[in-house]
Amino acid sequence: MRIPLVLTLYLLLSIFPLFADTEDETGPRYTISGYIKDASTGEELIGAAIMVQELNRGTVTNVYGFYSLSLPPGFYHLRISYVGYEMYEMAVNLNENLTQNIELKEDIQELEEVTIHAEGKQAHIRKAEMSVNKLPIKSIRRIPTLMGEVDVIKAIQLLPGVQASSEGASGFSVRGGNPDQNLILLDEATVYNASHLMGFFSVFNNDAIKDVKLYKGDIPADYGGRLSSLLDVRMKEGNLKKFSGSGGIGTVSSRLTLEGPIIKDKTSFLVAGRRTYADIFLLFAKDPDIRDNTLYFYDLNLKLNHIFNDKNRLFLSGYLGRDVYANPFAKMAFGNQTYSLRWNHLFSTRIFSNFSVIHSRYDYELGTPEGDANAFRWRSKMKDYSVKADLNFFITPEHTLKFGLISTFHDFEPGNAMGLGEQSLFTEFILPSNYAVENGVYVSAEQSFGERWNLRYGLRLSMFHNVGPGTIYNYDDDYIAIDSTVYGKADFYNTFVGLEPRAAVSFMINDVSSIKSSYSRTRQYVHLAQNSTAGTPLDVWFPSTPNVNPQISDQVALGYFRNLFNNRLEVSVETYYKKMSNAIDFKDHANLLLNRYMEGELRMGEATSYGLEILLRKNDGKLNGWISYTYSKTTREVAEINNGNPYAAPYDRPHDIAIVGNYEISRRIWVSANWVYSTGLPVTFPTGRFEYMGNIAPVYSNRNAYRMPDYHRLDLSVSFGSKPKPDRKWHWDLNFSVYNAYGRKNAWAINFVQDENDPNITYAEMTYLFPIIPALTWNFRF
Amino acid sequence: MKILKTVVIITALSASLWNCTERIELELDSTYVRMVVEGSVTTDTMAHWVRLSVTSDYFYNQSAPAVTGAEVLIDDGDKIHVLMESDTLPGWYLTSPDYHGVPGRTYTLNIRNVDINQDGAMEEYNATSRMNPVNPIDSIQLEYFNTFFTGYQVRVWAWDSPDPDWYVFKVWKNAVLITDTLYELIVQDDQFFNGNYTYGIPSQFLSDDKPEEVVNVGDTITFEINGITEDYYNYIIEAQSQVFPQTPLFSGPPANIRSNIDNDAIGFFAAYSVNYSSTIATEDIVGGGKQ
Repeated sequence: MRIPLVLTLYLLLSIFPLFADTEDETGPRYTISGYIKDASTGEELIGAAIMVQELNRGTVTNVYGFYSLSLPPGFYHLRISYVGYEMYEMAVNLNENLTQNIELKEDIQELEEVTIHAEGKQAHIRKAEMSVNKLPIKSIRRIPTLMGEVDVIKAIQLLPGVQASSEGASGFSVRGGNPDQNLILLDEATVYNASHLMGFFSVFNNDAIKDVKLYKGDIPADYGGRLSSLLDVRMKEGNLKKFSGSGGIGTVSSRLTLEGPIIKDKTSFLVAGRRTYADIFLLFAKDPDIRDNTLYFYDLNLKLNHIFNDKNRLFLSGYLGRDVYANPFAKMAFGNQTYSLRWNHLFSTRIFSNFSVIHSRYDYELGTPEGDANAFRWRSKMKDYSVKADLNFFITPEHTLKFGLISTFHDFEPGNAMGLGEQSLFTEFILPSNYAVENGVYVSAEQSFGERWNLRYGLRLSMFHNVGPGTIYNYDDDYIAIDSTVYGKADFYNTFVGLEPRAAVSFMINDVSSIKSSYSRTRQYVHLAQNSTAGTPLDVWFPSTPNVNPQISDQVALGYFRNLFNNRLEVSVETYYKKMSNAIDFKDHANLLLNRYMEGELRMGEATSYGLEILLRKNDGKLNGWISYTYSKTTREVAEINNGNPYAAPYDRPHDIAIVGNYEISRRIWVSANWVYSTGLPVTFPTGRFEYMGNIAPVYSNRNAYRMPDYHRLDLSVSFGSKPKPDRKWHWDLNFSVYNAYGRKNAWAINFVQDENDPNITYAEMTYLFPIIPALTWNFRF
Repeated sequence: MKILKTVVIITALSASLWNCTERIELELDSTYVRMVVEGSVTTDTMAHWVRLSVTSDYFYNQSAPAVTGAEVLIDDGDKIHVLMESDTLPGWYLTSPDYHGVPGRTYTLNIRNVDINQDGAMEEYNATSRMNPVNPIDSIQLEYFNTFFTGYQVRVWAWDSPDPDWYVFKVWKNAVLITDTLYELIVQDDQFFNGNYTYGIPSQFLSDDKPEEVVNVGDTITFEINGITEDYYNYIIEAQSQVFPQTPLFSGPPANIRSNIDNDAIGFFAAYSVNYSSTIATEDIVGGGKQ
């Protein structure tokens, strides 16, 4: 391969001088570097801005809170700022390499709106990074939610370009993509199914989360494997200063998080747990059959963090979650587990590196108790094992470089079902496992040219290999399996290779406004066999194979970014156009579970999406929140579906509005509201009917020729907190929320029903899920 | 597939903690009129019938318009049988009462002398179906059931043949067919138990909620098993999935139901073998023996 060779050469040439650590073509330079942290907890701050006043140049901390600035020798004033924190100013005489860790204090003056830390707020104007939304966990906590459960995923669904896959669902569609096209990472480990309880709650316990960032198009070259988006969720490291805790007692669940130092300022831990108690309410059910049911989920987040010295730190993260439903006749359980071990190492003050070992898995099982003729157990799971290396090179404030690689081994066990006990009718039925290796190598750079131009460009090379043992069925033109090919152990029997260029440029019009543009290509090699809109826990992920080409997306975007009113208000307007090839859909009446010939159910074609996204956002002050509006259109065209004519994609919602507001009446009382509106999802309705065996059956319109009624909903909440005092150790707040405050009956499903009394009469009936749902939650922290 | 049905029951239960339904008004478009065929040939000796009707607007709200005056023939490979239109039921065409099918034969339905699209030219429709055999049933038992619904399940003891099989299960009470709608049929393929003994697997149900299904002491309950083709099996699966309520959790996009009739017609002409097994409801069975 020629390209990797060129890449390697380029890297060596640009990196080599950094090891020398002193001089480059512009003369001698010294480096000031370190971590920026929260003063009270020692948590690293991601994306904090460091500005060199004299040069009007700066940088921001990376995802590990690390910064590095290499400057010519001299006397500088640095300003360090981070939204929600007091600005920190310092002077340095840079005549040697300096390590400077900085701790920022949380801004308790925030209410008065006096501190304007422009630099931090202008960083997003300057940066050649677009189609990205970052949500502070603090503002996520104030959004009213279903049953009072604070939820990261429900919060990002309120951003422009992001839509819930269905009412109350944790699945989301980004810029017209499918929910399986989102890469969801928790401390670098993939979360394959982010939902609990049929999707009404997500797997993220907000008490354990530090930072959430969503990339909707301009995904950095460091990441790959999904077409539409990257949701990067980072867990807290655990308080390095003192033992502390937080938690809550809610309507459906309770939470408790404990964290603290094992060795002060060196080693910390975090343990966070959450469990629902819906099954406790079942005990009060009138119907004794419901009383015997089990219905719960739990989450457990674990973290251990050790600082060896300024150059080495280690993070161990774990997540375990599981849902269990059971009644006397059947049981279903599913859950995710993710583990990651990461080592941060500084090769020099200008070279930051991270090495990770990652494991994630998702599995489900269902079955009936042993002893009857229909007793069975059905299991399915998938497992990933990854190693990853990332290097950041801080060459100058104008030029940084990233380089890295990742290798993942995928193990798919799509399903095995077997009878239980001697009296069971069922034979063992095992779908063959699939194995694959997915590799990615990337290099990317950020460069500024003059005062106005910033450029970010990168290239990712992705490789996907199907590895034996494996069985591949061969299909004829009608998608009927004709024979199969069996591959032996360790046989790399099929390979896909592809380049994924990513580039973005920004042009500063003035201090407060810029124009940005980006292009990105993404490739996806693992896919989800799911053709219902809301999704079930019965996920079957399957790899690209000789029968399934990788999905490829090309996206261009253009945007205008502006800060108004002395940087208090952020405005962005973005347009995008996205074309996806080998987009996966399924044949009519597809059978995707426990099907040996599942690949024969796939139909692939093209999908196109374009849109306009407007976001007005105010991050602090007494009144904060955002207004987002999206206009978009997504269509698919697949030869065998809808007679080859284009049809609206399942998540096409042309108009989408979200208004999210939070107002602090006083330091102790705050109110929040959000209102959402979106065009109804496309749907196929009958245009005719016929009689068969006493029932009336439908004759359908073209695919997705109709729309569900428009969706809208208002949620409200009011919180009352403990009196803020500087020496107070124990803080609490009581939150009362109402989901769907004006009781809109939003259609979740529309069915056509035959009248019980007169079988000749049919009528349409809608199902809606949530009436007005109040909830009470009590939160505390110490 | 039974396994999936279990899952749907559990999850529907958890979702039912919340959901509510309401009748709504919708405007639906019209589509062109198509021929609809429903008919079968079985191993039973009787007058077999084929019903011809046409499609209508979705909210037509009357019985489907009948197709009368058609010429309807069934070719069993040996002989061509002409079906006579019923005097009392318009659109129903009957064989002679002494007719029965033979497993292994292929049956071809031929319909002529109809002009569904009203273009003045007569159209012709054809369908074929092979008659698959079906194994006999050793015995059945009735068992009282009182969780989630109240009624009886019919447990069945029989051998599944070593060949691939597709089944329809029906139930009769005192010589009246209870499972007389598409809704109530239970269909099953044998991919998870090919060649096995069934050990009394529950295969049909009678619900106390429906007056015609209430079982009294002395009632004769008959279980009927049909050996059908894979194509007819898929037809029923598809038709049931479009007639049953659909949810965003489990249902794929709505899609038209297959047909084995040519020329853009709708419906199915099926040939299948039939076996029966009966039991009498005794005192210790009815109401779980508590009555």
